[in-house]
Amino acid sequence: MSAISLGGGVFWVHECFPETDGHIHVSVYLVEAPEGAILMDSGSFHHRQRLSDRIADATAGRGVGAIILSHSDYPHSGNIPAFRGDWGDFEIIASCGDPDLQGLPYARRTKIGEVVDVLGRRFAVLDPPLADRNHTTWVYDEASRTLFVADGFGTLHASGACDIDWGRIPEDGRAEGVHEFHAQTLPWLRYADPNRVMDALYAMLERHHPAWIAPIHGPPIAEADVGRYMADLSDALARIAEPHRR
Amino acid sequence: MSEPASETMSVATGRPWRRNVWPGIHWIQECGGHRAGIARAVLESGADWYAPGNELHIPQNAYLLTGARTLLWDTLSPASGHILLPALEDLLGERPLDYLALSHPDVPHAGNTMQVLRRYPDCRLVAPATGETHALYHLDDAMKVGPEDEIDLGGLRVRFPEATFLDAAIHTWMSEETTRTLFTVDWMGFPHQSGECLRRTDEIDTAVDVGRLEEFHSRVMFWFQYVHPHKVTAATDTLAVRFAGYGFAPAHGLPIPGEDAAPYYERLNEVVRRVAASGRGGVL
Repeated sequence: MSAISLGGGVFWVHECFPETDGHIHVSVYLVEAPEGAILMDSGSFHHRQRLSDRIADATAGRGVGAIILSHSDYPHSGNIPAFRGDWGDFEIIASCGDPDLQGLPYARRTKIGEVVDVLGRRFAVLDPPLADRNHTTWVYDEASRTLFVADGFGTLHASGACDIDWGRIPEDGRAEGVHEFHAQTLPWLRYADPNRVMDALYAMLERHHPAWIAPIHGPPIAEADVGRYMADLSDALARIAEPHRR
Repeated sequence: MSEPASETMSVATGRPWRRNVWPGIHWIQECGGHRAGIARAVLESGADWYAPGNELHIPQNAYLLTGARTLLWDTLSPASGHILLPALEDLLGERPLDYLALSHPDVPHAGNTMQVLRRYPDCRLVAPATGETHALYHLDDAMKVGPEDEIDLGGLRVRFPEATFLDAAIHTWMSEETTRTLFTVDWMGFPHQSGECLRRTDEIDTAVDVGRLEEFHSRVMFWFQYVHPHKVTAATDTLAVRFAGYGFAPAHGLPIPGEDAAPYYERLNEVVRRVAASGRGGVL
């Protein structure tokens, strides 16, 4: 299976990396736009050939017309040169950081708060409350109501649960996967006030109501499951912030 | 809140972006170009350390440590390979580069890693032990270091204390024990203006006050807006005790001598309180 449809022209191209306590997704998403296929992040060099093959298959060989980057961290941006070799010098829409410093001098820089048109599809550029690098941006696809996010909203999962959405992961261990992911990936959460983080996330979801939350490092979260995910996330943030009280 | 996309940077060339900063510690600086958006914000704040018309820089710093053996700490951004490699060749001469130590695999810090390793193929790559995804960064074969580790460079000794303030799991700070220098990576950064490039804080005429430190940290440590300030200030106070008398060699500011370092801890505590109250200042 090359890609899993989430509806609205959005497809999940999942890849995983094994860690001690489970698998971590290092995925990408394809978005069908009027003028070509948009790739959300480029994935890790670790999965380069598989991703290239699966994207070619999902796009009937046409490949990618543009990439929107959440940030330039290597597991998110590492395949850009190879994919440009495969499919030509398509446009790179960088996150809000300075493209020169991020090694992407040819990229178009986004600005938090703006709406960008990419290959005829509109994306709102958002300030992410759950990120590692300061230059990270999240984007909300207005047509499909999909919120593309990194690094937050991830979930470690067990081997064998790599291609199912969050709501279908067995409940036993699922909340722990949310906790483990955020504890290891966003170390600053040890200092956080969980209420401030959750309030910022709820405000974003209120304004940009998602049919899907599409994390790079976790399975997609359907609208019907967002409430349960947020409850697990709230518990996870509380445990990370006050590890000795739980 | 972010700078206009049109205000891109240019990279200065043709200047010797390096100097000896403390005995055995050589500083290689990438200033990039003028940060017009931040300069505007600084002027609007009424700060007196920045003169209108000057360029405002947020630098990337790498440090070359030369004892009997040599170690490079970070590699600047991909935009500055043309600064880093000639500086290394001039500083090292015929000597080998024995270690390349990465604070974290962030592009502006690790962007020239492969170029350095190609130029010095016998160099040992050193990476933080923390984190679980080293293979996603080509760091699976690196020498992993943590708080228990020390590398004796012969005349210089480096250790790898936990990065107290960090943006990613694979991350370490470094200290050099003979000069008592703490390499704080993204923490303790601040902008400088033209005329202050490659100067230590004791060599410039302007103050590095709370507002100047806030201009950097309110952007890079955006997460200060979500913290309990007392948790961060407690961690800072612990650092102030543990590293009393150590100077700072940050990745994005000017080096601060040890005799001047003590007040900076409280300045950073005030930065945290301000950002927690007012939100992030923008992005870099």
